[in-house]
Amino acid sequence: MSYFLTQVLNGLSYGLVLSLIAAGFAIVFTSTGVLNFAHGSIVLLGAYLVAVLHPTIGFWPAMLVALFGAALVGVLINALLVRNLADPEPGAAAILMLGVDIVLLTELTRRIGNQVLPVGAPWGASVVRFGDIALPTGRVVAAGVTVVAFAALWYLFSRTDLGVGMRAAAADGPTASLMGIRLSRTAATGWALAGVLAAVAGVFLTSFPSPGVAPTIALSAFAAIPAWVLGGFDSVPGAVVGGLLIGLTSALVTGYEGDLEHVLGAGFGEVAPYVVMIVVLLVRPSGLMGSKEAVRV
Amino acid sequence: MKHLPRTCALTAAAVTMLSLAACSTTDPNASGEGGGGEGDVTTGSGVTDSEITVGMLTDLSGPFAAGAAVQVTQTNAYWDQVNADGGVCDRDVVVDVQDHGYDPQRAVTLYRSMAPDVIALQQVLGGPTSAAVLPLAEQDDVYVGGVGWTGSALQYENNQLPGASYAIEAANAVDYLVDELGVPEGGRIGVVYFAGDYGGDALAGAEHAAEERGVEIVAQEITSQTTDLSAQASALVQADVAGVVLAAAPTQLASLAGVLATQGADVPIVGMNPTFNPSLLGSPVADALVANAYSITSVAPYASDAPGVQAANELYASVAPDGDVGWEVPLAYVQGELLRQALEGACEAGELTPEGVVAALQESSSVDTDGLLPDGLDYSQPGQSPTTTVYVSKVGAAAEAGLALLEEFSGPSAESFSYGG
Repeated sequence: MSYFLTQVLNGLSYGLVLSLIAAGFAIVFTSTGVLNFAHGSIVLLGAYLVAVLHPTIGFWPAMLVALFGAALVGVLINALLVRNLADPEPGAAAILMLGVDIVLLTELTRRIGNQVLPVGAPWGASVVRFGDIALPTGRVVAAGVTVVAFAALWYLFSRTDLGVGMRAAAADGPTASLMGIRLSRTAATGWALAGVLAAVAGVFLTSFPSPGVAPTIALSAFAAIPAWVLGGFDSVPGAVVGGLLIGLTSALVTGYEGDLEHVLGAGFGEVAPYVVMIVVLLVRPSGLMGSKEAVRV
Repeated sequence: MKHLPRTCALTAAAVTMLSLAACSTTDPNASGEGGGGEGDVTTGSGVTDSEITVGMLTDLSGPFAAGAAVQVTQTNAYWDQVNADGGVCDRDVVVDVQDHGYDPQRAVTLYRSMAPDVIALQQVLGGPTSAAVLPLAEQDDVYVGGVGWTGSALQYENNQLPGASYAIEAANAVDYLVDELGVPEGGRIGVVYFAGDYGGDALAGAEHAAEERGVEIVAQEITSQTTDLSAQASALVQADVAGVVLAAAPTQLASLAGVLATQGADVPIVGMNPTFNPSLLGSPVADALVANAYSITSVAPYASDAPGVQAANELYASVAPDGDVGWEVPLAYVQGELLRQALEGACEAGELTPEGVVAALQESSSVDTDGLLPDGLDYSQPGQSPTTTVYVSKVGAAAEAGLALLEEFSGPSAESFSYGG
């Protein structure tokens, strides 16, 4: 039983980190209609900034710089590239984002080299014990931070003019614009928020039980794509549920691989998230919480 | 709308990658002139009266750029030294380095354009890239070295593996766990491996050894994107493994060692060639690594005191005093050394041609490299690993490049393993 609980907690805590990344995908998609394939590189950028800055200015100030840095890069990508697209068609923007991803990733890979850079998180490799179950402190902190972040997002989207404006812009941009909502402002906010979430996720993805920042982190971030898609392209709550579902599925399938191997084959834990995604999409084509309009355009 | 962006996106990815991977450095001295000859030596592609051109297809702009840059620096330094000592077959050796950016299609294109102008390829870095080039080079009868240690590369008779293959490494890892690290008969050994030819080859070796030694394998397949091995580690603890064989990368080694330590599992972890990186000793899990991590390598580690390794390290320090040190330093040197011996074999046979180099390789049944690789490498048995001996090192904070050499090791299961057998 404690083994089952260990795997459930492993899965949920990793799933929360995935949901931070998935929410970033969803927020950019709702605020500007862009499939942001550069999101993985922004996750890596956030973690990289903390890794290179923490020895000189300390972990928390480095974290703050990383949050601003990742948000700024997001805002700049939107202001300089996305808004200047002649053709606002999502396909063109997605292609553009792939280009941005390659440029960012190549530069970060060059800077990181073949090092694994520790992020210097104050919780180090310590663990929190609940009875027989040991969970890395970093993951407990991640869970707390994620819950706070999502509470703040909920407040933003439901209780503030800016958030309501963002939702209106997402639902019907031209009408929202006619009602006096500045689309450029809601778009910039969306990209900045996604950047902040990416930087937070980057630090948790690269602190214990991961050893530090390596270029493959940008790829690990793509593990959040099934979470984003199955939650519904445009739903932040969907991204949270999706992340938890994907984290839980991977941990349990990996954890019970020995028992499942004869039925499902080796390495099914890596495939399971995509199987869950496909099953969910077969039953609910617009995802768990996605709005139907968003996928019928 | 839902499908269009992704289709476009994939197309775009392909186009962008191709257009970006365009940096290459061509040696202005490389000559395409073949034929002719000097004395009674027949010459072919890549050979003039004064120069021999060898090729190197590496990754200077993709995921392995940092390690590849170390190897390029060391390779150039190696041939400069050989040339200063009189060259090979009275000719200077020049290296034509091209960047495939870890893109198999680009590697094939570069190979096609390079093949008429080189006598041999000292290295094709990367699994997918070398898998694309090897069959073409075999058709053309062109020597290819430095493609890594996967067993699937052994089927090509033009390929020279720098030491034992991954299956041999993993079989030795199981032998070492049983003989030296206290895994009892009937005990369990975890094997955590990357999906693909590297991990698959290692798993095959470990399974063979487990059968021979009466232990049970608990396998966990992962990919390079798996950077948090909590679930895998919990499963291994649950299965009560007494040791772990890891065929993955440094990130996975650190994560696995760290999580196992926090779960109170004090078990040895034996990693294959590419699993250790000295920078891991600066991570929060350094203590767990020093306590339990071992490395099995086909090439002698940086900290070896063998004369070949010392020569390699000194040469590298002279050309790149501030460069990163690690297992690439002896590796690049020994790849040059293996090719030099094959070139000299071809010269002695009077056939300084691509075919002559491959023939010299296939006739070499006892190659020595001053301790960079195990002595007596046998390349005359196509399809089999040239040796069953590997180097076992322990991760140590005080050791040079983080690995202290314990011993050269050849276990019974590694010796009884054979490909296709």
